[in-house]
Amino acid sequence: MGCGSSLLDGDSRQLGRPISENGAGQDAKNLRVKLVLLGDSGVGKSCIVLRFVRGQFDPTSKVTVGASFLSQTIALQDSTTVKFEIWDTAGQERYAALAPLYYRGAAVAVIVYDITSPESFTKAQYWVKELQKHGSPDIVMALVGNKADLLEKREVAVQDGTDYAEKNGMFFIETSAKTADNINELFEEIAKRLPRPSVS
Amino acid sequence: MAATRGNILSTATTATAKLQKPAATEVDFPKFMLLSLLSKRSLEVDSRDSYGFALRPQYAQTYREYSSIYREEEDERSDKWSDFLELVVDSSQPTSENEHKQTLKVEPESDEVREETNPHRLSNGDDLSRTKFSELEEETYVVRVSEGDDSNDKKSAEGNEIIEETILDRVSKGDDSSDKQTSGGNEIKVGTIPGRVSEGDDSSSRNFVSDSATGNNSGKELHHSEERKTHKVQRWAEIRPSVIVIEEIFSSRVMKRNKMNGINGNNNHLASIEESEPLDDGLEGSRAENALVDQNLPKLFTRWKELESLVQGGVPKDLRGEVWQAFVGVKTRRVESYYEDLLACNESDEQNVSSAAFGKWKKQIEKDLPRTFPGHPALDENGRNSLRRLLLAYARHNPDVGYCQAMNFFAGLLLLLMPEENAFWAFVGIIDEYFAGYYTEDMIESQVDQLIFEELMRERFPKLVNHLDYLGVQVAWISGSWFLSIFVNVIPWESVLRVWDVLLFEGNRVMLFRTALALMELYGPALVTTKDAGDAITLLQSLVGSTFDSSQLVFTACMGYLAVTEARLKELREKHLPSVLVVIEERSKKGRAWKDSKGVATKLYSFKHDRGSLVEERKLTEGSDKVADGNLQSESNSSNLDEMLSSLNVDSELDSLDLQEQVVWLKVELCRLLEDKRSAILRAEELETALMEMVKEDNRLQLSARVEQLEQELAELQEALADKKEQEAAMLQVLVRLEQDQKVTEDARRRAEQELAAQKYEVHVIQEKYEKAMQSIAEMQKRVVMAESMLEATLQYESGQSKALSSPRAGHAHSPRFENPSRKVGLLSFGLGWRDRNKGKPNAEESSESLHNNGSPRKESDKQETNR
Repeated sequence: MGCGSSLLDGDSRQLGRPISENGAGQDAKNLRVKLVLLGDSGVGKSCIVLRFVRGQFDPTSKVTVGASFLSQTIALQDSTTVKFEIWDTAGQERYAALAPLYYRGAAVAVIVYDITSPESFTKAQYWVKELQKHGSPDIVMALVGNKADLLEKREVAVQDGTDYAEKNGMFFIETSAKTADNINELFEEIAKRLPRPSVS
Repeated sequence: MAATRGNILSTATTATAKLQKPAATEVDFPKFMLLSLLSKRSLEVDSRDSYGFALRPQYAQTYREYSSIYREEEDERSDKWSDFLELVVDSSQPTSENEHKQTLKVEPESDEVREETNPHRLSNGDDLSRTKFSELEEETYVVRVSEGDDSNDKKSAEGNEIIEETILDRVSKGDDSSDKQTSGGNEIKVGTIPGRVSEGDDSSSRNFVSDSATGNNSGKELHHSEERKTHKVQRWAEIRPSVIVIEEIFSSRVMKRNKMNGINGNNNHLASIEESEPLDDGLEGSRAENALVDQNLPKLFTRWKELESLVQGGVPKDLRGEVWQAFVGVKTRRVESYYEDLLACNESDEQNVSSAAFGKWKKQIEKDLPRTFPGHPALDENGRNSLRRLLLAYARHNPDVGYCQAMNFFAGLLLLLMPEENAFWAFVGIIDEYFAGYYTEDMIESQVDQLIFEELMRERFPKLVNHLDYLGVQVAWISGSWFLSIFVNVIPWESVLRVWDVLLFEGNRVMLFRTALALMELYGPALVTTKDAGDAITLLQSLVGSTFDSSQLVFTACMGYLAVTEARLKELREKHLPSVLVVIEERSKKGRAWKDSKGVATKLYSFKHDRGSLVEERKLTEGSDKVADGNLQSESNSSNLDEMLSSLNVDSELDSLDLQEQVVWLKVELCRLLEDKRSAILRAEELETALMEMVKEDNRLQLSARVEQLEQELAELQEALADKKEQEAAMLQVLVRLEQDQKVTEDARRRAEQELAAQKYEVHVIQEKYEKAMQSIAEMQKRVVMAESMLEATLQYESGQSKALSSPRAGHAHSPRFENPSRKVGLLSFGLGWRDRNKGKPNAEESSESLHNNGSPRKESDKQETNR
């Protein structure tokens, strides 16, 4: 799943900036990355994080108020490690007022929608625009269609996600926190796309 | 009041129920609260605490350790509170003292009764079958206070006759019982009661769990099933008289607030609600009310300090629901049938102006219902229905807030502690007043509070904040959700409830700040040791989540941060509000709904100016609306004159307003413009400081990066140095060893040389000797040859003589002597001489012998030489 996409145009402009400003650690072998999850309420943001960090899935997880934090480190094949500092934000629309607090300085934004809800896909597009306007210019964005296990209820076509992601220079993947499908792949792919601190 | 719902009940109020002896005004509360539906089964599961809330597995052990402490504390505070309430009631009701004492003795019976009664509290048969209430030791001690009070009340109504009256009886009483009680007149506060009681009974026609099937208790006694229905009927209930004293005191602050806003009657209040004013009410009200808390209330109530320390010590579990209601002033807030009306417009009112927004909230509420305390035993289908009704009713009540995530938890919590309508009014009090502006669309107050908190943090814990700055952690990342959730799901439940006790008692958000500061005080030292942002936040979250020592937390908060007062917060609020407004305006400019900033403008105005009357307030709102419209048309909110004129033009259409109103409106407009100007200036300042901050931060980041890099290099170099030193040491050792080896070999060589020299010398000596020996040998040989030749010659001579002379004697004797002179030349003269002497005797033999032994002289000479 997922489609190739080039990194953001903004990258070249931002070479001069210190990486740390972007929330990523300086050590070439051990990266620290601030990641923020955004998306409509109930699309499964918390579930994705819980699946990734704890390997658990709870169909009746509780409402996130404000934002919650978890961190997880993964090792890549080239023997670098990436420590994700994950901010899982509240989904309700009005909490968007607080979102800048969390996406400011984030190196990665994962925008999640529910493949059974076109509305959540619209909301995801809102977030993409918001981040393009207010996020870090070299932010790595991933578009995630969650609940991929509910195929029979699908209302957002894979192609829609792919197209939108491609148009906006994002990385796209469909996941299922329930079945753990593509969850680790999502984070590994993000890790690969991170701008590495070149020479320090 | 819905008659249809009453019909359901008609079966409930059967003859048997009416036959029951009416006991007291008191309705036994716990029976209608969701929490009371909890049973031992929730406690049997390790993963839930005694409130039925889920425990995180990593804290389960700690919770178990603390549960005995909680129990002890609970016992202690139950006693304290019952003493206190007794005293308070006594002071207002001197006659009841004896009865109190008597009722305290009755306690054990009450407990039994309770056990017997419990099954009726359950809302359906399913629960019934699963539950063994005889196991409810946990609850029985809690029950003591309430039972004591209840039976006290009972007795004050009934006299001494009904000691063994069961709670069942009391609960099932109808209107007549309350009348009777009132006529008994033992209660001083009763003056207000008749109305309230009848309200309660009215609302009782609404089934608290009306959605649930009522007929599934087939196998039960008629008596019991009827009891149960009666319980379910209760949706609104009065609190017990002993707590009413407190309620009266606190209700005064609610009433004053209402008066301040010019709302005297309930109907007015209802009307104002529809015109979306409660928000402004709240802001104004909390201000006015705080003054009341600070000054008037303590004077009104002589035991204020005592009560305060009791509250800080915690409210007993079974009193909590009622005490909270008293603090929030639920009774005073309540508008009869308002809640019912809100629920009733459920289906009909969808074409309302706010229908789009309302639909959104409704959807969100539906999403969140199963995600509110998931798995809590009391939040079954019925519980969730109550929760849904409450949240929907509130969304209608205050469309400025509608529904915001986090509110589901508060509503759920309140429903666990009190009947549905009581919970609704408590909820209204908390959200509309204490947390006014917190959960609105722009969440403005919440953002302001975060700025305030950060400032307080910098003031109190500069080191910690510096460290967090260094790690790149913003305080608001963490504290934001603390404040928004009022610590629900943040700290353990016992602590949440203790914090809420104080918060509701104080009636403002001061406790929020104090608690957050206390948490930082408790865990700051640990945080300072962390090395990166992720670790710091993870550590803080887990430490905060294990704050089981609720007393420590509350006392640290209340004693340690006395300087954090409402006045101080107000000051800080005014300081930080503009910057938040700027940001919000920024956002709204960028294509967001205008509505937000309109609300903000209104609020801003209301912050700065006291309105004289409600009328003016109305006009203000209208005026702002028009201004907003005008601005909307010109698609900008900047405050230049052109726009003002255009908005004036818009407004001039409304010439119907009389001049006075216009003047008022113009004043408002002027104010608004002034505000705009001020905010523009502030914004400029803000931007400037922000820029400075950014530059500073930039530098700091670069510097810290540089320092880190340098440190790393240093470390590397040091490591290299250490390596080199090690190598050197190793080399030295090798060298030393080599040197030693060398020395040894040198010694050996020298010794060998010496030996060689010695040997050479010896060789030399031997050679010399050898040469000498050879010389002497050569000499000897010569001599031997000479001797031999001489001997031969002699022999020849002798043989010649013997041949010629036949006298051998004479010749023979002469011959050696003859030979002698020649021999004297050689070195062996002596030997020869000696031999010659010997030869003189055995002549014959001698000749043969000398011939025979030619080597012997040589031998002897050798001998002589070696002897030399």
